[in-house]
Amino acid sequence: MKSVEIKSCNSRFHKNIGKYTVSLNDSCFHCGLCVEICPYCVFERKDGFNHVLAPNSAGCLGPECKEGPYYCTTKCPVDAIKIELDPQWQTLGDFRWTPELIISTWQQAETGEIPSGNFEYKIGASGGGFDNFDFAVDRLTDMSSSDINNIITSDKISTSICLNRRGEGASIEIPVPWYGAGMSFGSISLPSMLARAHSAKAWKTFTSTGEGGYPDELIPYCNHVITQIATGLFGVSEATIKRTPIIEFKYAQGAKPGLGGHLLGDKNTPGVARMREAVPWNSLFSPFPFHSVYSVEDHKKHIDWVKTINPDALVSVKVSTPSDVDMVAVGSYYAGANIINLDGGYGGTGAAPEIAKKNIAMPIEYAITKVHKFLVEEGVREEIVLLASGGIRTAFDIAKSIALGADGAIIGTSDLVALGCVRCGNCESGRGCPRGIATTDPELEKQIDYIWGAQRITNLYASWQKQLKLLLHELGLKDIKQLRGRTDFLRRIDEK
Amino acid sequence: MYKRYHIDTSLVELSTTKIGKFEIMRNDACLNCGRCMTHCIYDVHERDSADPRIMADPVNHLCKNCFACIQNCPYHALEMVMNKEFEKLGNTYWTPQVIHTIWNEAEEGKIPVLGSGYRGRFRGSGFDDIWTDMSEIVRPTRDGIHGREYIATAVDLGRKLAWISDFRRLDLPNSYEIQIPMLLDTSPLGLNSKSIILSIIRAAHKLGTFAFLDIENYGNELKPYLKSIALRCPLDKITNLDQSPWKEVNFIEIDLPRQFSISELELALKKLKSENQTALISLGLTDPSLSNGILKQFKEERADILNIHADNDGQSYEGNIFICDSIRKAQLDLVKERMRCEITILAKGGIAAAEHVPKIIICGADAAVLDLSLLVAAGCRVCKGCILNDCPAEIEKLDPEIAEQRIINMICAWRDQLLEILSAMGIRDVRRLRGEKGRAMFYEEIEKESFEFIFKENETAK
Repeated sequence: MKSVEIKSCNSRFHKNIGKYTVSLNDSCFHCGLCVEICPYCVFERKDGFNHVLAPNSAGCLGPECKEGPYYCTTKCPVDAIKIELDPQWQTLGDFRWTPELIISTWQQAETGEIPSGNFEYKIGASGGGFDNFDFAVDRLTDMSSSDINNIITSDKISTSICLNRRGEGASIEIPVPWYGAGMSFGSISLPSMLARAHSAKAWKTFTSTGEGGYPDELIPYCNHVITQIATGLFGVSEATIKRTPIIEFKYAQGAKPGLGGHLLGDKNTPGVARMREAVPWNSLFSPFPFHSVYSVEDHKKHIDWVKTINPDALVSVKVSTPSDVDMVAVGSYYAGANIINLDGGYGGTGAAPEIAKKNIAMPIEYAITKVHKFLVEEGVREEIVLLASGGIRTAFDIAKSIALGADGAIIGTSDLVALGCVRCGNCESGRGCPRGIATTDPELEKQIDYIWGAQRITNLYASWQKQLKLLLHELGLKDIKQLRGRTDFLRRIDEK
Repeated sequence: MYKRYHIDTSLVELSTTKIGKFEIMRNDACLNCGRCMTHCIYDVHERDSADPRIMADPVNHLCKNCFACIQNCPYHALEMVMNKEFEKLGNTYWTPQVIHTIWNEAEEGKIPVLGSGYRGRFRGSGFDDIWTDMSEIVRPTRDGIHGREYIATAVDLGRKLAWISDFRRLDLPNSYEIQIPMLLDTSPLGLNSKSIILSIIRAAHKLGTFAFLDIENYGNELKPYLKSIALRCPLDKITNLDQSPWKEVNFIEIDLPRQFSISELELALKKLKSENQTALISLGLTDPSLSNGILKQFKEERADILNIHADNDGQSYEGNIFICDSIRKAQLDLVKERMRCEITILAKGGIAAAEHVPKIIICGADAAVLDLSLLVAAGCRVCKGCILNDCPAEIEKLDPEIAEQRIINMICAWRDQLLEILSAMGIRDVRRLRGEKGRAMFYEEIEKESFEFIFKENETAK
């Protein structure tokens, strides 16, 4: 396989956010020593100028580099440099997406490399689920960087998974064990969708249309775009079903299980409304559930219906995680689905009632083990692909879901964080995202250049694949498929 | 004619609740270029109206944490910090976030809808250890508040017959149907501000539910709302009550102290029965363990309602039992005694958010009693201690109509959220939710079921 091109891709903002704030006081006489010693470009003096510029605090590692040879504060001859924890740091992120996770995801999107380790890039701080266990491996201490480089570029460790494990139908293999989750036109902007599709094409994986229809701009990427059929049936037509290699039925979404999709009126611009065949500026609340499906038998009819239209497509069924999710999964298997997508309760959304995000249905960690065990007991596990989504933030979350029993994962929010999302959570109304990601405002969406965005997502995926390869090597495995269900590799992190 | 239950809401803003989470600071590097103004879509940054050459101070309560102004500022002149005033709100149970959510609900009367996923901890204690179930494909489901189906949120207060033995002589006990599984309480923080009590009682009247009122706070201005008042009286005061308003109310609660004699209680109940035959009689318990003496009053039909009191943080007054556990235990005790269906259980204390209502009902309560949340709706910040004439929210000076509408708004938002939960579960009647522990997932159980086998095996392998 031709490798994916990784290019450094900087933030689109004047100022980056960092953990520390560096300041120079009046005693600085601009000797420029700090400019020479700091390898992280915190200090800069433009050629031909006398003054050192105001420090670029975001690059600073803080007291971490105290032991190193380039710790500026002690070297400064006049003690002019002060490094403090930036009070702004507390305003960024939350328990699930800690500021460290957000910043390190940005770093990965910029460089395509595994983060250097000054920030926690593997787990969040929610105190449970994925954040409460880890792989029982000893960290690589005696490996040289060239060894590591050999491993992460090696073809001998495979991270690919197959999306059809039934003996019949199309055979689709993706080189990384994840693809992009459904995010509709309307919830995110067209440039954001294009960025995701462009990156999916580069990686030969997939992204999904979400329930807001299939914009024509995505047609060049049609071999890497999943057509979602959700309860609102917005923009679903024979053409869009025929165009796609995978059809996804969205029965429910983890962030709002038991409720239909929400698109508040402000974001339903004429363009979005045209795509959805709806009235502009009206709030669109999709029904729940599919009113044509009240049983597994009805569900089978649904699948038969799309199979008639597009016999070559694989069928994915996206369900959230009630206590009987295992029955749902087995039912979907017998109805003919190729992929079961479990969407856990802590997943992302463009708009959902706050009450639904935590309180309805179980977190994905529980659902994976439950469904995996049940499918094994039923003897059908080897014929169906189980993908986890809803709160998968990092490469390690993906690896943990696989170790718990999934085949792979589906990624939503992390793609957006790569595009520069700060998780402020205001995507639902008004003009949408002030950062131009989850917006339908024609002016705001111009902030994202989709080629730039695609590169950011591509870089993030590259870093993730490297992390997975390294992890597999550490565990003594050669293939991500061998990791599935290996709960014996997991150990609990003691609660602090 | 049939009238579908509906709560009228309207926008009621309160200047005392304009406390944002974040504070934007502008430093000396600012050149007043106005770039922040173009990038902010929430109108935090505006030019000074008196002198348009300079930027006005940021309007902090409108800030939504998007960092657009900060990252786009060419001179690095802006910085965001947490608003200290916001962080000072409330306490560890009534967190700033809980208070903020109630304020928003009270202002607009709408379900809080936000983008991006869940942001909190994986689990917490008490209510945060419960996930409600939902249905798809293999069980019937319902459209939520946006569907056309009617989902009933009405519950019955009072005694129900265990069975009907003779249809010709149907002697039904007294009960009242309220359209929301929520009762109001005027006693939080031991407050005796006349205006806030009036607004709570008027809200209850409008909503068609009951509001608990301590007898010492009764005054003539409350007379028009007597049918919506649940009069509460300490046990030792019952025997020397004067006439009014006892005879006219539909609901009386005896507040039981920690120590009391059953014979005294029986005497009081007898006196109440002789004064008012039709009112529902409730026993307010601070101790969640039901003694035989208490059970006897229910068995012998002297009392109809059990109201379990906890403090504002949901803890029982003795033994630190959380309200969920108290209710689960009371429910089980009454099931064992084979009388759960005949009487009503209410839960008071610690109901701080919309999701607590369905969750306490799942634990076994028929309805929840809201207390401190009502004050928060009126702008209360849950400070330590409560001195009325030094209240930062100026509760005492608040126009009762404004407070009333804010309370109604909050309850409408909570009822709509209850409807969302019910529809997700495929339940069409909140009465069916009571004690339905099978339709909920509890942390201890689910963690054990999913992970114990993994980590136990791994630990023994070591």
